[in-house]
Amino acid sequence: MSTDSKPAGPLGMPMKRKEDPRFLQGKGHYIDDISLPGMLYQALVRSPYPHAEIKSIDISEAMKIPGVTAVITGKDLEAAGLGWLPTFHGFDKQMVLAIGKVLFQYQEVAAVFAETREAAVDGAEAVQVDYAPLPVVADPFTAKTDKVILRPDREAKTNHIYHWEVGDRDATTRALAASPKRIKQRIWFQRCHPAPLEPCGCVAQFDAMGRLQFYVTSQAPHVYRTALTLVTGIPEDKIHVVSPDIGGGFGNKVPVYPGYVCAVVGALKLGRPVKWIETRTENLTSTGFARDYHMDVEIGASAEGRVTALQVSTAADHGAFDAAADPSKYPAGMFGVVSGSYDFAAAHAEVDAYFTNKAPGGIAYRCSFRVTEASFAIERAMDILADELSMDAVELRRKNFVKKDQFPYASRLGFTYDSGDYHKTLDTALEKIGYQTLLKEQAGKRAKGELMGIGVSTFTEVVGAGPSKHFDILGLKMFDSAEIRIHPTGSGFVRAGTKSQGQGHETTWAQIVAEELGLDPQNIMVEEGDTDTAPYGLGTYASRSTPVAGAAVAMAARRVREKAKKIAAHLLEAGEADVEWKDYKFQVKGVPAKSVTMKDVAFAAYTNMAQNEPGLEATYYYDPPNMTFPYGTYIAVVDIDRDTGEVKVRKFLAVDDCGTIINPLVVEGQIHGGLTEGFAIAFMQEIQYDTDGNNLNTNFTDYLLPTSLETPHWDTAKTTTPSPHHPIGAKGVGESPNVGSPAAFVNAVIDALSPLGIRHIDMPVTRDKVWRAIREAEARKRSS
Amino acid sequence: MNLQYSGEEKISANAATVWTFVQDPEKVGRSFPDVVEVTVLDATHVDAVVQVAVGPVRGKFKMKVELTPSPANQRIDMKVSGGGFGSAVDMTAGADVIDAGDGTTLLKWSGQAVARGPVAAVGGRVLDAQAKKLIEQAFANIRNQLST
Repeated sequence: MSTDSKPAGPLGMPMKRKEDPRFLQGKGHYIDDISLPGMLYQALVRSPYPHAEIKSIDISEAMKIPGVTAVITGKDLEAAGLGWLPTFHGFDKQMVLAIGKVLFQYQEVAAVFAETREAAVDGAEAVQVDYAPLPVVADPFTAKTDKVILRPDREAKTNHIYHWEVGDRDATTRALAASPKRIKQRIWFQRCHPAPLEPCGCVAQFDAMGRLQFYVTSQAPHVYRTALTLVTGIPEDKIHVVSPDIGGGFGNKVPVYPGYVCAVVGALKLGRPVKWIETRTENLTSTGFARDYHMDVEIGASAEGRVTALQVSTAADHGAFDAAADPSKYPAGMFGVVSGSYDFAAAHAEVDAYFTNKAPGGIAYRCSFRVTEASFAIERAMDILADELSMDAVELRRKNFVKKDQFPYASRLGFTYDSGDYHKTLDTALEKIGYQTLLKEQAGKRAKGELMGIGVSTFTEVVGAGPSKHFDILGLKMFDSAEIRIHPTGSGFVRAGTKSQGQGHETTWAQIVAEELGLDPQNIMVEEGDTDTAPYGLGTYASRSTPVAGAAVAMAARRVREKAKKIAAHLLEAGEADVEWKDYKFQVKGVPAKSVTMKDVAFAAYTNMAQNEPGLEATYYYDPPNMTFPYGTYIAVVDIDRDTGEVKVRKFLAVDDCGTIINPLVVEGQIHGGLTEGFAIAFMQEIQYDTDGNNLNTNFTDYLLPTSLETPHWDTAKTTTPSPHHPIGAKGVGESPNVGSPAAFVNAVIDALSPLGIRHIDMPVTRDKVWRAIREAEARKRSS
Repeated sequence: MNLQYSGEEKISANAATVWTFVQDPEKVGRSFPDVVEVTVLDATHVDAVVQVAVGPVRGKFKMKVELTPSPANQRIDMKVSGGGFGSAVDMTAGADVIDAGDGTTLLKWSGQAVARGPVAAVGGRVLDAQAKKLIEQAFANIRNQLST
C-alpha cells in the first residue's frame, strides 16, 4: 500500500477536542462534584513542626465540636495494621498518620470526620498535640553528615537512601583528565511543585455489598486499586476505583496519599461515605513535590569543541520518605538521559539521595522521571562549555550532536535512542527564528551596553515507560492496554488503562481507532478511569500514554480489523487471503470496486456473520519494546533591564519532533501548557524551606502561577521523525516543553549577562537575583 | 524562624509592686496583647487565648504559659508555647526586676521566639515588625495595669 495514495484520514487531523465543550461549559464532573447521601467530611490535623516527638494527642476538645463524629490518630491506624503505606517504587514506606514523631512540616497527624466540612476543620483545629521539637535537617548536605538520623524506623541508621550510578566512571575520569578544556558547575534544579489547579481529593464509600467505591483524583486508578489491597487487605475484587474528570495532574496525582487511606478507614469505621478535598496549602506542602536535585556537572572537550567526557554527580533531596514514585529498577528515574543529544565518548552519572525534614516526593512533574533535571543540567552545561571555549553555543551543539545515521544510538548511559535528526530540527529552528539576524542585533545592542540574550536548548527526552523487562511499579510491569468494541451501526468505544487529566485522550484515542478502522472519530467514545470497565493499565504520567496506551489502542484496532477481515471476506464472497485493507475499506485484491466498509462489516458482525464468532471487539495489552525519544530545539530571546534586573522574554520558538502527530491541535495545546510551566519554573517558582524547616511557599501568593499577563507568546514548529518501533510512529509530546524550556530561558538570561562575566544563576531566575548578579559583576569590575 | 528581642522598660511603680505583679499568672496572662481568655491553672501556670493577625494568618492562638520566679535574683523566667491554625510559637523570655531607686522600677528583659508553620512563612520583616509591636503593646498593658 502506498502511503502517498492514501486519502487524508483521522490521524493527523486537527480535530477540535471532543471533551472541550463539556469543560468549557462548566460541565466537567470533578471529585468535589461527587456528593453521596449521608456523606461525612474529613479534615487532617497537620504538624507545624518539621521534626518533633509527639508526646501526646488529646482529641477530647475536638469531639465536643458539634458535628464531629470521630478522630483517628497514627496509633489507631497502627493498631489496625494500617500505620504505614508502601511508597510506589517499593524501597520505602510512609506513615499514614504520624507515629511517635513528625518528620516534616504539615505532616498528617490525625484525621477528623464530621457532618460538614466546616465542623471537620474546626475539629482538626481543636485537636491538641503536644510536640517536643527535635533538631531539623533541611538540606541533603546536612543530612549527609548523619549527625541527626531522621528515620530510626529503618534498618540502616543513616539518612542516605540510595546510591545509583550508570556509565563508566574510570573511563570518564581518564577522559576528563586528558581533555584540554574542562568545565565544572554546580547546578541546582530547585524544589518545585506541579500545583494542579484542582488539588487532590477522594470520596470513599462501602456500598450495600460491602464493596469499596473509591472516587479519587488518580492518574493511575488501577495501580491505586492494587495498592489499596496491599495496604488494607481488602480483596481487589471488592474495590472499585473511579477517577472522574481531573483538573490537572502533572505527576502530582500519581502517589497514594495518607488522606486517601484515612478516608477509607473513616468510611469503614463509621459506615458512611467520607469525602476529603485538600486545601491549596495542603497540596503545596504535603503532596508530591518535584526536582530538588543538586547536580555537579563536569564536561571535558577538545580545544576545538568536541566533547570527550561527561561526569554528573547529584545529591537528591527526597524529603522525609522516599516517595519518588519511580519505576523500581530506576531509583533516579531516567536521569541516565543526562548525556542529552550529544555523542560523548565517555560518560558517568551518579545520584545519592537523602532524607530531610521536608515533604516527601520527587515525582515526575510533567517529565518522564528526572528527565527535566537531566535535560536542564546538560543544556546549561553545554552553554557554560561554549562560554569557556568562546564558541557559539549553537555551533558547539551542532558539532556534538548524535548524527542521523547513528540511530538507533546506544548512549554511554544505557539508553538506545530510537530515531532522530537533530541537525534538521536545529536548522529548522534557526531559520524560522532568524538566528543570524538576532546575532547581529545582539552585537549592536552589546556595543551600546544593552543586555540581550539568545538561549538555545536542544534537548532529548526519554519517555514511554516502559518495556516489562526493565520497568515496573510495585512489581506491576509498565505495559498498558486498550479494549475496543464496535457497535452494529459502526460506532463504538475504546477503553484504556490510562487516565486523561487534560491530555485529550477522548479525542486522540478516537482518532487512532478511526484511522485504523476507517470510522468516524466523532462516533468513537473513549472511556478511562473506571477500574470495573477499563482494562488494567499503569496510568497516565511520564509521557507514557501515547507511547504505550496509544500503541495498545492501535494494536487493539488492528485485532478488530483482523476479525473484521473474516467477515468482510464472507460479505465479499472471497477467500480471506484475497481480501485487503486499503483506503479505509476492505476490498478484493485488484478489484477496488468490490469493497465493503468497516461500517458494513460491523453490521454484519451482529446480523450476518456466517460461521464467524459474533460481535466485533478486541483487547490488547501492549508491552513496548523500547522507550521513545522525542526531542526538540527551543530558542528564547530575552531583554534585561540593567537597572532593575527585569527579564522580558521577547520571543520564544519551540520546534518539536515527537514522531507521528495524532492531532496537531492537541500537540500545540500540550506545548503551550508545558512552555508556560517551564517559564514559571525558570522565573518564579520554588518551594523554599528555611533552615528551621519551615515551608515558605504555602499558597498562590508565595508560589506563583503565571497568568496570561506574564506568559510570553509561544511560536511553534515541527519536524517529524517517526519512532521505528511504535505502531503508528508516535513518540509523545506532553512533557517535552516542560523538559526542554527551562534551559532555553536560563541560557538566554545568562547569554545576556555574559558580557558582565556572569556564567550561571540558579533557578528561579527572579528579578532580584538578576539585579544582584549585575550589581556584583559591576562591583567586581570596579575593584579589578 | 528564630526571633530575638531584648530591651528595658521603666515602670512607674516600686520594685516590690512590680515583683508581685510579674509573679501573678492572672496579671501576666492579661498583659498579652489582644488576649481573649485567661485560665489560671496554678501559681505558675496559665493558659491564654489570644487573637492573632499576622499577614494572612488570623485567628485565635492557644498559648500555655509557665512562670519560673527566682526571688533571690528578683528575676522571672517565662516559657510560652502554643499556636493555632497550623502554626506554632515557642517562646522563652526572662526579666530582671531592678529597683531604680526613685520609686520606679527597671524591667530588663530579653526573649527569643521560634515561629513555625504559616505564621513563619509570612516573612521575616512582617513577622519581626509584628512581634515588636506586640512586645510594645504587652509592656504598655503592664504599665497600664500597674498604674491603676
